[in-house]
Amino acid sequence: MIVVDDLSVSYGAVRALQSVSFEAPSGEITAVLGANGAGKTTLLRTISGLVAPLSGTVRKDDEVLTGRKTEDIVRLGVAHVPEGRGVIAEFTVEENLRLGFMIAQGSLPDALAEQYEMFPVLGERRRQAAATLSGGERQMLAMARALIARPSVLLLDEPSLGLAPLVTAQLMQQIRDLCAKESLTVVLVEQNASSALRIAQRAVVLRVGVVVANDSAVAVRDDENLRQYYLGMVE
Amino acid sequence: MDAFLTSRNVSDVLGGLASGVIYALVALSLVLIWRSTRMLNFAQGAMAVFATYIGFAILAPSTNYWVSMAVAIVAGLVLGGATERVLVRRLYGKPEINPIVAMVGLLLVLESVAAAIWSTSSRPLATPFSIVDWQLNHKPMALSPFAVYEIVTSLVVMAIVAALFQYTKLGLQLRAAALAPEVSRLLGVRVSRMLTIGWMLSTAVGAVTAVLVASNFFTGLTPSGMDGVFAFGFIAAAIGGLDSPVGAMVSGLALGVVFQFVGDYVNSNAIILVALGMLIVSLMVRPSGVFTRSAQRRV
Amino acid sequence: MERIVGSRLSVGLSVTAVVAVIVVVLSSSTRLAVALALGVAVLGVGATFVSLTAVRRDHPVATRALISVIVIDLAIFLTFRVSATSNSNVAIGAAMAIVLLGLSFLTGSSGQISLGNGAFMGVGAFTVGIWAEHHPTTPLVAVLVLATLAGALVGLVLGIPATRLRGPYLAGMTLAFAVAFGAILNMFSSWTGGDSGLQLPTAVVAPHWLASFFGPTASSLTTSSAWLADISIVVTGVALFLMANLFASRIGRAMRLVRDNDVAAELVGVSLPRARVIAFTVSAAYAALGGALWTLINNSVSPSTYSFVLSITILSLVVIGGIGTIPGAIMGGIIYAFSTGAISWLTAHLGLNPQGNVASQLDGIIFGGLLVITILFAPLGIAGLVRHGWRWWRRARPTGIVQ
Repeated sequence: MIVVDDLSVSYGAVRALQSVSFEAPSGEITAVLGANGAGKTTLLRTISGLVAPLSGTVRKDDEVLTGRKTEDIVRLGVAHVPEGRGVIAEFTVEENLRLGFMIAQGSLPDALAEQYEMFPVLGERRRQAAATLSGGERQMLAMARALIARPSVLLLDEPSLGLAPLVTAQLMQQIRDLCAKESLTVVLVEQNASSALRIAQRAVVLRVGVVVANDSAVAVRDDENLRQYYLGMVE
Repeated sequence: MDAFLTSRNVSDVLGGLASGVIYALVALSLVLIWRSTRMLNFAQGAMAVFATYIGFAILAPSTNYWVSMAVAIVAGLVLGGATERVLVRRLYGKPEINPIVAMVGLLLVLESVAAAIWSTSSRPLATPFSIVDWQLNHKPMALSPFAVYEIVTSLVVMAIVAALFQYTKLGLQLRAAALAPEVSRLLGVRVSRMLTIGWMLSTAVGAVTAVLVASNFFTGLTPSGMDGVFAFGFIAAAIGGLDSPVGAMVSGLALGVVFQFVGDYVNSNAIILVALGMLIVSLMVRPSGVFTRSAQRRV
Repeated sequence: MERIVGSRLSVGLSVTAVVAVIVVVLSSSTRLAVALALGVAVLGVGATFVSLTAVRRDHPVATRALISVIVIDLAIFLTFRVSATSNSNVAIGAAMAIVLLGLSFLTGSSGQISLGNGAFMGVGAFTVGIWAEHHPTTPLVAVLVLATLAGALVGLVLGIPATRLRGPYLAGMTLAFAVAFGAILNMFSSWTGGDSGLQLPTAVVAPHWLASFFGPTASSLTTSSAWLADISIVVTGVALFLMANLFASRIGRAMRLVRDNDVAAELVGVSLPRARVIAFTVSAAYAALGGALWTLINNSVSPSTYSFVLSITILSLVVIGGIGTIPGAIMGGIIYAFSTGAISWLTAHLGLNPQGNVASQLDGIIFGGLLVITILFAPLGIAGLVRHGWRWWRRARPTGIVQ
């Protein structure tokens, strides 16, 4: 479980997040929605320690994450797949996975085999440079690289960006299955609100750094105002 | 066969390889730092010389060569790490001339301090192998036991560095930290530690290089003894591509051979002019380096 | 407004007249009195006009010319009054200021750095030496122009490839040039005199009419050292005037655009590589001019002077003084003029053996250390600190004037 409490972040004079509070329970997907510049990416970067907040705290279960280094937060089981996936293009598929396994315990071959089973296409391309993968394959690699260290929290930043609708649908399904199977806490940042709300249990809507809704995904989906003014979902 | 091995051209190739491995090592240690921090370490030669003085001038002259070499390598590791922690760390994200100026300042300080402690006069190092060329049918072969040792040592150092980067967990993290620092942090790589380790490694490679250069009978160890070698190493790295370790090493070897021919057939003073000319031509034709695949650099 | 101008003019000119009269009365000989009065008049009138906002605003070129003349005038006064050693330091320092102006322009306008300006100085220095050997009667000005052009030519050849690229290439290539310079001189040792260098066939002395004007009573004014210092100062003043105009010109402003933002500069139509090549060529030419003066001052040129260490010293001076600015370059020249004296004072006070290893390396340790400290903690050097302090002082002190 991730608990964000009264979090404020600013870049110089610009306030990016203003007193943001919400809870993301284990075994559920919490979608963070909002327009460009609403502060969604900043929120994830603050949770994983890349950005220091002005005030407020982030907790994972009983541990306070705020004030820790990114490298240590990751070791507490918080995996962050950044915007643009962050696959190292010059590395092979397997090297990317080996890098992801670095902080984990246990046997590397077993862990690799497990991921290749879950994402068979990665197994086929294990010796290929990540640069040669398609967008969807890269997203799978990024997910596999995050999961190989067996995290308990998964932060996903715009996983559907640049993917075809069919691929996005498959990806969303995979995220939902994973979340249920591993009892993960998933925080899913999405611009594509409709596909995110389809799999999420909870939803937080941000507007220029302020939480305007924090409710079940169903409630957010059915709120006509939110859909029109903040999510840009017009039927 | 004997006549072939002692012929002028073969001699030039052999002699060229012996100096080429040195340029290749300098180029390699520059590339190691360039890839991770986008800085050209202008103090590389001075740092290497300083480490060599620690290994060979602080210890008693009778100290075993290999002990001194080991001390010099350790001194290189310490000096490189300390430089990154104390000086280089404050220069990340600054305009590109700031690190250049700072490293040139460090170069001047290190060379002056070395000269203040150990004087500017050349200090001959005892060599473990003879520097007298082998004879074949009473003709010299342009290859001495020392030259063989020099070539083998350099190749071993390059192989160790390559294996470290390619096959170890540390190497994986070093490469990742250089290519994508933020992503690496998100995967738990301690990037700032990797930068320190990169500088340590580079300076240790430099220390081996400086020991080899100074062991050479003709030069000996002097505070500014690596200035010229550094210039050739930079030219090799720039021609091969500052982003390409393999390119840097290959072009270092090639330059060594070319220079040997120029020195033999033209004039030893002409070598540096030829080197400058080659650098100019290569920067005009392939600005990102001969061995760099993508031309991503902005012109 | 008119009244302010009028009153300031009359006050300035009256003060000038009074000081000139006092100087004349106190002078020991008529001829000295004439010279001093002339100097005071130039200084007073110049300063009066420069102090007028209207003049500074409407006649920028004339203002820069007046400032240069004032600087020359003041410095020449100085050379009348100090010892031969000090004069030779002033001459050397003034020539160094020219070199620093060039490097400062390169960095200030294009954001790039050269590590080879010591070698470019050498190009100018040896041009003078070689030329004087074959044509000893060539006028001084022609020799200096020739040396400057030689520096510009070499700068152009190296600058065209190196300045095309961003990054450490220009620095690396100029470093290679600086390190190689000794070998290059050796290659042409039949011209350059090899390791021993060249001796000028005749020393530079004050022209006969000037020496005879002052007569025996004031011969110190025309001693060789004072005369060389005066030449150095006048040339530096002219170089300063040209550089100030270059900094302010369209091309200077365009180059600062290049430094701050490549893309913006491309949009407004500045050809980036050409702007950088010009900046580099100018810096090489200025370095050569400084080196040419050094040959005249020393009456000889030796290859060991133009080592790699000199190039680093030049970099240190320009960074410590304040990189990218004219006052910073002048400051660097002043530091250089005093550095020899300061370091021997330090050697004596630290109780070091003047012939020892430590004493001989003290300058390198100090310059290198200051270089690192400056770039870490005050990257704009003394000029930057002064400007910062001045602003802080003006803000801290409330004034009645609304800006």
